[in-house]
Parts: sequence; structure tokens; C-alpha cells
Amino acid sequence: METEQFNIRMPKDLVQDLDIISKLLKVNKSEWVKTKLAEEVHEEKNKLLMELSNLYANGMINKEKIEKLVGKEVADEMESIKVVAQKSVKHGLRYGKKLRKLHS
Amino acid sequence: MAKNSESYILDMSANRKAISEHAQKSWIFDTSAFISLESINILEQVLKLFSITTTDSVIKELGDFAKHDDKYGKIAKDVLKLKNRFTIESCEIKESIKYIEATDNELYNLALKKRLALITDETKLVHHARNKIEVYFTAMFLVMLTETGHFIKKEALAKLEELRDIRNWRNNLIYLITKSELERF
Repeated sequence: METEQFNIRMPKDLVQDLDIISKLLKVNKSEWVKTKLAEEVHEEKNKLLMELSNLYANGMINKEKIEKLVGKEVADEMESIKVVAQKSVKHGLRYGKKLRKLHS
Repeated sequence: MAKNSESYILDMSANRKAISEHAQKSWIFDTSAFISLESINILEQVLKLFSITTTDSVIKELGDFAKHDDKYGKIAKDVLKLKNRFTIESCEIKESIKYIEATDNELYNLALKKRLALITDETKLVHHARNKIEVYFTAMFLVMLTETGHFIKKEALAKLEELRDIRNWRNNLIYLITKSELERF
């Protein structure tokens, strides 16, 4: 996996606590921090994107605004999901009507 | 011609057209589509109405899921019990979409070759394939079966909640848009 250097300064107490965890769990300190950070980042990112999706679904924010906030890639994917979800629902309704007619 | 006979013939003709359109109706399913529909117990109903085509790679993926004793493992085992009712094909990858995996590229090529719509709940696949092939989320079948009267509104909404949990959708767009439609029934 491609990596990038990211430096942070941490309070001494926190580093000491990390030492304790590392010794007790017999794990590498940096690896443990990386795993925990990845879990937290993933969770928070998903939560925030869901909130953004909610605003987008309700027409309270448009694609351009999403693009400004989180970039083109996320905005494009969100648009795709919205368009295909609406299309799926419409197609389901249309086909359901057709089937009902067929069986009546 | 008497008015009644005329409308009877018109009805019959519309019916024949609908029957012939329906007789041709097939869909291509990926792994996520099978898992989603079986998780809310509607795969068998869908199989009674339509013919489903998939690939060997999808069956292999389901087999890999089935090795585990978690909820996905159990669902995959149930899907595989219905295996003899799917058409299973391999398809040469002649055209690739850069951002998706080989299994998904095979399904994409199968959809192109057979000119059929692909059913998937993989948002990344939907995003990259939607302008090249016809693609729908599984929520389509939930709306369809509610429209046909297989479910009442309350049951359909409960199934959507189940689907949301199994797919970890929370408040995503698929959930919100489908819920808003089902609430109109």
C-alpha cells in the first residue's frame, strides 16, 4: 500500500499511555495507532458522507456544493447513486404495474 | 363490432404484448444482488417471475462467503441452494472498466453481450458502469413486488429496514429514495 509521511505532536501523557497499551498487548505502538486511526477515520468519513447524502436526497444541497466540499470524485459518485436509485424505483413501479396488469 | 368485443380484443392484444415482453425478461445478478434479495427473503419470489443469469465467478464468490459461519455465510448458503434455477455463464472480457475488479468486468461484459440490465448494490460498480449498460439497485424489486401486491406498505418498509442493516446503508441515498417511494403506497 502506498504511504505518506504524516507527523503529529502528541501530549506526553498520551504517549505514555500508548506505551502501556503497546507493552500489555505486545503490539507495535505505531501499528496500533494506525489501526485505531483508520477505524475512526473510516467511521467518521462514512457518517459525514451519509449526512451529506441526506441533504442531497432532500434537495437541500446541490452537486456543485458537494464538489466544493469533498471533491469531484465523491460528488460524481453521489450523483450516480442518486440517479440510479431514482431510476430503480421508477422502473420497479413501472414493471410492477405491467405485472399486475398481466396477472389480472 | 360491438363495443364490448372491441375492448375485449384490445385488452387481449395488450395482454399478449405484455406477456411477450415479460417472457423475454431476464436480469444479470452480481454477488451483492443475490445477498441483498436473499437477506430479505425475496429471491425466490423474484426467481418465480424472472430468469436470472450470473457468472461462475459470482458463484465462486458466494461459495467463499458460504465458508463462514456469520450472517453473510448463512445467506450465501441459502442462495446457493437455489443455484440450479440460475443460468450460469462465463464471459470473455473484451472491454474493461479501469476502476472495477475482474469479477465485475466479467458481469459488465456479459451485460453488454446479452443486452441485459445488471442488478447490483455495489455503488462503485454502479457509478462506473451506469453510462455504459443498464443498471439497477435491488430496491427495484422491493418497489415492484409492493406494486404487484406481494407486500403491503408496512411489510415493504420493514424489508427495506432489514436490507439497510444488512448492507450497512444507514441513511444513504438508496435507502432514502426507496423509503420515500414506498411511503407513497
